[in-house]
Amino acid sequence: MSPPLLEVSNASKIYAMGGLLSRRRFAAVADVSFTLEEDRHEIFTIIGESGSGKTTLARMILNIVPATEGTIRFRGVDLATIRKRADRLAFMRQVQPIFQNPFEAFNPLKRVDRYLYMTALHFTDARTADEVRAKADRALRQVGLSLAEVKGRFPHELSGGQLQRVAVARSLISSPALIIADEPVSMVDASIRMSIVNLFKALRDTLKVSIIYITHDLATAYYISDRIIIMKKGEVVESGNAREVLAHPTHPYSILLKNSVLSPDPSRRDELLAPQFSSTEKDIAALR
Amino acid sequence: MTAGAPTTVGAAGQGVAEAPQPQPVLRVSDLSAFYQTHYFGIVREVRAVDDISLHVLPNEIYGLAGESSCGKTTLIKTIAGAIQPPLNVVGGSVKFDFRGQSINVYESTPEERNAMRWQHLSYIMQGSMSVLNPVRRVRHSFVDFAFRHIGRSMPDFLDTVVGHLERLHLRADVLDAYPHELSGGMRQRVTIALATVCRPEFIIADEPTTALDVVVQKGVLAMIRGIQREIGSSLLFVTHDLSVHANLADRLGIMYAGHIVEEGPTAELFASPRHPYTVHLIGSLPRVGDAAPKKGLEGVPPNLADPPPGCRFHPRCPLAMGICSRETPVMEWAGPGRRVACFAAEKGITA
Ligand SMILES: Nc1ncnc2c1ncn2[C@@H]1O[C@H](COP(=O)(O)OP(=O)(O)OP(=O)(O)O)[C@@H](O)[C@H]1O
Ligand SMILES: Nc1ncnc2c1ncn2[C@@H]1O[C@H](COP(=O)(O)OP(=O)(O)OP(=O)(O)O)[C@@H](O)[C@H]1O
Ligand code: SF4
Ligand SMILES: [Mg+2]
Ligand SMILES: [Mg+2]
Repeated sequence: MSPPLLEVSNASKIYAMGGLLSRRRFAAVADVSFTLEEDRHEIFTIIGESGSGKTTLARMILNIVPATEGTIRFRGVDLATIRKRADRLAFMRQVQPIFQNPFEAFNPLKRVDRYLYMTALHFTDARTADEVRAKADRALRQVGLSLAEVKGRFPHELSGGQLQRVAVARSLISSPALIIADEPVSMVDASIRMSIVNLFKALRDTLKVSIIYITHDLATAYYISDRIIIMKKGEVVESGNAREVLAHPTHPYSILLKNSVLSPDPSRRDELLAPQFSSTEKDIAALR
Repeated sequence: MTAGAPTTVGAAGQGVAEAPQPQPVLRVSDLSAFYQTHYFGIVREVRAVDDISLHVLPNEIYGLAGESSCGKTTLIKTIAGAIQPPLNVVGGSVKFDFRGQSINVYESTPEERNAMRWQHLSYIMQGSMSVLNPVRRVRHSFVDFAFRHIGRSMPDFLDTVVGHLERLHLRADVLDAYPHELSGGMRQRVTIALATVCRPEFIIADEPTTALDVVVQKGVLAMIRGIQREIGSSLLFVTHDLSVHANLADRLGIMYAGHIVEEGPTAELFASPRHPYTVHLIGSLPRVGDAAPKKGLEGVPPNLADPPPGCRFHPRCPLAMGICSRETPVMEWAGPGRRVACFAAEKGITA
């Protein structure tokens, strides 16, 4: 039997924060475990509080930061043992990130098409300039853009949603086995959002790609996820089949999350000023 | 096109008595701003803001919605006076009237413009954490930005800041962190805190809650609405998320391809959208529990460097008629406080 695609075992990340005198150590990610099987391609969704450790977990899986405790294995290889440049490149070809907030992820002084060309050069068989451009254009077309629209532009010359879609396109170029998408649709409208999550579905179903989908959007989480975990303060507080968890959450935080989804109905707007949301002390006490 | 004046001429013409309205704080008239680039001898013009008029009253939250790349950020950059080449204002005006002090943004000196931005305006830019100095602890950003304005002793000032951060579900110890030690959503909340702690008269916010979970987002929106109501300030709020608008905006402007195509009080706009694009937007709102996708709109938004003639929505519009590809509909009065730019809506046809 082949080893799992990804095996996260009791992974924790401890950070220290604060001034010199009042340094506080805390677990940004606390004892998280889950497995993605090689032959069960799925969309594995992570939702949770802002600051609950989702991005930190993603960065550990991408081998950008080491786990403080626990192990993470990709196709049987412990990420902590990947040292050689060739091994690192081989890993990066198979596991591609879409980073949260493209405005921060893209270097403001670098033209965005360069990112696509570099990815194509490093991780595909494209060698000539034409081949590289063709790969870039093909990826951009999958997210409703084209190379003509993006060519030569700096990040600030694109709208937020355009830039976010370039980030999604870049992750497709190397034909990875696993995509780690950290808030990939936060800046796009409902219609583009739907086309991107449908693209994820198609990648899973036809190209056998597994996707870790980090999101705050419960509606698309419900629509595309196979399994889900809900995080709060570094811990997984609830996990399981996505539809079941989202339809019938049992942990108090998951229930609060579901109940806090804003209703698109202006006649219920006064809820926003209801006591539980304006008296934050109580609110915070309840949350922490 | 009629300017976005507060007293709708049409309303008077129809004999509908409206309560006298206060003077607007912001008046945008016939504003056009294009990105003009010369690329290997070819002049390229992206018409991201094309003949837009709107106004914002004191104590009002004006929401701006529209799909990705329709020009929302460009419009509010232009309103905030924060433009740089290749973006140029090619026509129209932006006027602010702060209790007694008025400024015509594009007829004033850069110094006057800066003074206005510091004293009265606060602009939260999309995705940008550039207000946070990456090599200094967050505390310093607050001291640099807000200490002078708040005018209290340092301990009192820090107490105020900590209280304010709590309203945004942030612990006091974020002040001791460097920006990179915070999560994306924490950084976003710190920028909101910086922009609001001085309680400015006018807040411009571009997608300020995209990185927040729904619980925290609700707290943040409640805070924003809370301080806006407490001091009667005005807010121009951009997001593609109509659920946020439904809960926050008093009035809503819908943008499509560089134009505002419909405007009205939020509840009425949701209850009876007139423009086919607004009808589509409101009809396609996803809800938790949808197992099947909502039907998207056919086609793609137009290229703003070469927009279609006539109504820019016509290639995608289910109600398009002959006239729509020949003439450009202008914003017309469509009931008290409402305006719409559509030939079908003019005739009372809705999608
Ligand atoms: N380099 C670092 N040093 C110290 N603390 C850090 C560092 N990176 C992250 N943290 C802390 O770890 C916690 C988790 O952060 P993380 O970015 O993983 O959250 P998140 O779940 O992705 O949140 P969001 O939804 O806001 O993006 C936060 O409290 C953050 O301040
Ligand atoms: N510096 C620039 N030069 C040329 N075109 C630009 C520049 N900046 C933005 N644009 C273009 O102007 C159009 C409008 O962009 P804008 O950022 O205003 O959109 P937006 O409505 O805010 O979209 P989003 O919701 O995706 O942020 C886009 O097509 C964008 O590519
Ligand atoms: S003017 Fe014509 S094309 Fe434009 S929205 Fe109205 S009906 Fe549709
Ligand atoms: Mg994150
Ligand atoms: Mg924008």
